Amino acid sequence: MSNEQQYTFSKEELAEIEKIKAKYPDKKPPVMPVLWMAQEKFGHVEPEVQRLVAETLDLPEAHVYGVATFYTQYYKEKMGKYVLDVCTCLSCQICGGYDILHYLEEKLGIKAGETTEDGKFSIQSVECLGACGYAPMMQITNDVYCNHLTKEKVDTILDDLKKDKLPEFEQIPFPQHQNESSKS
Amino acid sequence: MPEIFIDDKRYEFEGSPVLLQFLLDVGLDHPFFCYHPSLSIPANCRQCYVEVGTPVPNRETGDYELDENGERVIRFFPKLMPACKMEASDGMVVKTHRSSELVKRGHKDVLEFILMNHPLDCPICDQAGECPLQIQTYKYGPEGSRFEHKKVHKPKRIKLGPRVILDAERCINCTRCVRFTEEISQTHQLAIISRGDKNYPATAPGREFDDPYSLNTVDICPVGALTSSDFRFKARVWEMNQTPSIDVTNGKGANIDIWTRDNLVMRITPRFNPNVNDYWMPDFGRDDYRRMNENRISRPEVKVDDTRIKSSWHNAVLTFNEYLSGVNNKEILGIGSAFSSVEDNYALNKLLNRIGVSELVFTPNIEEGSGDGFLISDDKYPNTNGCRLLGLKEMNPAGLNKAISAASVKVVVMMEDDLVGRSVVTAEDLKDKKVIYFGSNNNETSKLADLVVPITCSAEHTASYVNVDGRIQRTIPAKETLYTNRKLNLEMSVGRLDRYATKYDNWSSDDNRIDCVPAWEFIENAAEQSGQPFNFADARDVFEDLSKSIDAFSGITYERMDDELGVVIAGSEKQKVTSA
Ligand code: SF4
Ligand code: FES
Ligand code: FES
Repeated sequence: MSNEQQYTFSKEELAEIEKIKAKYPDKKPPVMPVLWMAQEKFGHVEPEVQRLVAETLDLPEAHVYGVATFYTQYYKEKMGKYVLDVCTCLSCQICGGYDILHYLEEKLGIKAGETTEDGKFSIQSVECLGACGYAPMMQITNDVYCNHLTKEKVDTILDDLKKDKLPEFEQIPFPQHQNESSKS
Repeated sequence: MPEIFIDDKRYEFEGSPVLLQFLLDVGLDHPFFCYHPSLSIPANCRQCYVEVGTPVPNRETGDYELDENGERVIRFFPKLMPACKMEASDGMVVKTHRSSELVKRGHKDVLEFILMNHPLDCPICDQAGECPLQIQTYKYGPEGSRFEHKKVHKPKRIKLGPRVILDAERCINCTRCVRFTEEISQTHQLAIISRGDKNYPATAPGREFDDPYSLNTVDICPVGALTSSDFRFKARVWEMNQTPSIDVTNGKGANIDIWTRDNLVMRITPRFNPNVNDYWMPDFGRDDYRRMNENRISRPEVKVDDTRIKSSWHNAVLTFNEYLSGVNNKEILGIGSAFSSVEDNYALNKLLNRIGVSELVFTPNIEEGSGDGFLISDDKYPNTNGCRLLGLKEMNPAGLNKAISAASVKVVVMMEDDLVGRSVVTAEDLKDKKVIYFGSNNNETSKLADLVVPITCSAEHTASYVNVDGRIQRTIPAKETLYTNRKLNLEMSVGRLDRYATKYDNWSSDDNRIDCVPAWEFIENAAEQSGQPFNFADARDVFEDLSKSIDAFSGITYERMDDELGVVIAGSEKQKVTSA
């Protein structure tokens, strides 16, 4: 464990945490929002940060570790600037999720779970992100969803990201609403 | 009384028992993994499925609805239910695999699912032979697997802590180990990490699973995922025999099983006693097998012209009597021991009393504040209360030191207690005195003695101990000495290898049998040699004698200790163990 960086919460953040705690009857539920706060602040929740969260909430470290590792959205190590979460769960898998993942891996020269040397990109293979209707899909750094992925689309996204341009948010109406929207 | 119908048979019950526990209690075997009677119930393994229905009450009359044949209408739950999460209720109807094809299928399918990523490495797994997963797969599982893909690989041989090793591939994520650290030992050191088919229990990064009760997770792990780093690969379960006994490493007296093979103690595990230790014991108690096997005193030793030589038993008895009769009885000091049993202390006291020596003195071994209020007591010895009830004279270490060093004392007779190692007395204090030491292991004190009588350890004799709560419990011999034989002593258990081994088999030898006798037996021999035997033929005789002559023990017998899982001695419950 490196001691070079001491992670702490500021007074304001601690006050915020108190407010979060007040919302729940038990001690455990605030783990998720507080881990999230920590990740926003430090960019990751490395073991040291998990420990900080555990101490702040007076919870067992093992429990915080368990929660942090359950979600791919929490970064247990320092990640690239853009984290490409490619869904390889059932629906996406059937629609070619793995093809997209492998295409990305090839293009960036890294494997899922790794980060490019320039620190720009990380790839993760993740479970269902609740966008099965637009499979195959990926999410970028816990933010924009990129739907109906094709190799061409991936090319454009990567080119844009290299220029620090995030893809636009795409609205995709449900099929049953598609007619309505075309009508109106 | 409320009734419940299981596979068309009627049972009565009281209260609201957990259905699974009720099935087991009435003797119906039922598969399960995650349920444990002393832990919370997460119902996560789904192995305990049953069909359950309840009768339908008529809202107006309050009676149960009947069908056209006059039978109760039963409304079944639409799906199979986990028996561990159901409470028995009046009129409930339950179908197990004995009467329901659906339940049978449920058991089979859950097992097939659990085994999907399991490495199936029973031949090299320590748990084989005592593995609920193995047993239940054999009884309730599918014949084969339809899973033809590459199995998920997870970390193997992870040292979770100094005493526990994890093979994550074998883990079925029942969470028993996690619940143990949360609910019983309360160190909260383990959690299930990751997700889906990748999860397994772990400590927080950079932390060790050094819980003082960590090895209990090895006992309750229903598969071979958690193994003991010490016992791993030492013996197969079916090669050992198992004998109920008592932990003597501290004052709590946890009930244990001693596992032996060829008269070596291979491991110690806790034995259920709801009044003492439930299903648990501290880790250090399990290490006591070393004391039983190693560094033993075998054959009597006497000092002749400052050199120690082995001696015959006959000579030892003569020397013993010579020492005692060679001096005035006021010059003899008898020291009892809270480490030794009630019987041994009693026999020595009786012998010395008879020649006019006053009561044995003893000093407890209590480290204030070292206990945890659970199964680790401040008292480091198993029988402090026993010594008190016997009427031995309790002294603090300084007092005992004074008593021993007194110039008037010429002969010191000591029951096993490493007083020199404990720094109660020094070699200097014992100089110019004849020291007789009864003990099973070599130690600082035995080294200085002029006569060492090798006695049986708690794994070799029948003897009783009174724990810190005043409960008297007894041991049963697990390990043969040179003079005992498990096929003749019907109290001893006989394992497969013991039963079928002969001297010429390579799995059996005489090497591990120690040349020692119970202390009371040596005392009896000494009494007999001096022409006044006590007529103690076995430990039972000694105990019967003391229960007749000492009020505190009256009415107590070995049978009662066995039947009642130990007997609380009236008046001693409240006796707080404190250093004098
Ligand atoms: S290691 Fe054993 S006790 Fe712990 S969750 Fe896995 S199977 Fe259950
Ligand atoms: S399976 Fe990919 S979003 Fe649901
Ligand atoms: S024992 Fe009932 S679900 Fe595990």
